[in-house]
Amino acid sequence: MDTSPHLARAQWMSLLAQADPAELAAAMDAFAPPADTAWLRPAQTGLYMLRGRMGGTGPQFNFGEVTVTRCSVQVGERIGHAWVRGSQTRHAELAAFADALMQDPEQAPRLRQQVIEPLRRSLDERREEASRKAAASKVEFFTVVRGE
Amino acid sequence: MLTAFADPVFDSQRTFRELLQAMARPAVPRRLPVVPPSPAAVAPEAMAILLTLCDAATSIWLQRPDAEAVDHLRFHTGLRLADQPQQADFALIDDPASMPALACFAHGDPRYPDRSASLIVQVNGFRTDGGAHFAGPGIRDAERLSVEGLPSDFWQQRAALSTQFPLGLDLYFVAAQQVVAMPRTTRLLEA
Repeated sequence: MDTSPHLARAQWMSLLAQADPAELAAAMDAFAPPADTAWLRPAQTGLYMLRGRMGGTGPQFNFGEVTVTRCSVQVGERIGHAWVRGSQTRHAELAAFADALMQDPEQAPRLRQQVIEPLRRSLDERREEASRKAAASKVEFFTVVRGE
Repeated sequence: MLTAFADPVFDSQRTFRELLQAMARPAVPRRLPVVPPSPAAVAPEAMAILLTLCDAATSIWLQRPDAEAVDHLRFHTGLRLADQPQQADFALIDDPASMPALACFAHGDPRYPDRSASLIVQVNGFRTDGGAHFAGPGIRDAERLSVEGLPSDFWQQRAALSTQFPLGLDLYFVAAQQVVAMPRTTRLLEA
């Protein structure tokens, strides 16, 4: 894992955005917004156009639209942003607030231990389970010669 | 950083309605319904207009680019900054006494007169009980208005632009939670 500060932030922002909203809400229960919290951009839902390239190298095409909720919050001097898939404003608010707290060196270790790491484990478990389910449905076509 | 409109959709719609009415009735001060928080370099009334009219497709030229104001505008509107007055769709004049000549700004193209700049000028105040007479579309006979804090040759410069009609500049003067619009069709009557 890369440990440069910018990539670390990208990683926790991505993790917060992919987290299960209920799990995130439960984990963030212990962190109440302080009095100097300003919602710079209240959570708002819109559409983003997803673009793709066939095989990662072909010409760009519009893949489809995705519902995204974004939110920005300022806690003290630090500004947290979040873009999450779906229309759950509470998820975006919590993710933005967690991003702001993670930039604070005093709060970050506690948050990392109580929120980020459990969410990472839960995301890994979900991925593992999905890939196991997919692997279980793999079909071997013995009559077709594979190019291996 | 500061917040923008508390209710982005409805606040900008109310402000837009007021700006529309101000352009339809030139030279009459109108009260802006919502005044958002604003960094020190930009008047809150000017910020209300910019938040309403600007988005990622517009550019602005700031007379005195201030880092805090630039960050605020970029974050809340996504607008682009123009280096030269000539390239900007909007210009924010916070010190009219030292503003560049009106000829510096974009006046539009003969095929597209709408590609001209709109100037938002932060002035000291308005008086409607005296001052110059204005006439033109949207004014029944004449309106009296005096705008305080403009350079002495401002109205001569503006009159010089009228020969280029339909090219020209549209102006918004702001002060004390009020806005006065001065579209290019409004003429200053000689006393």
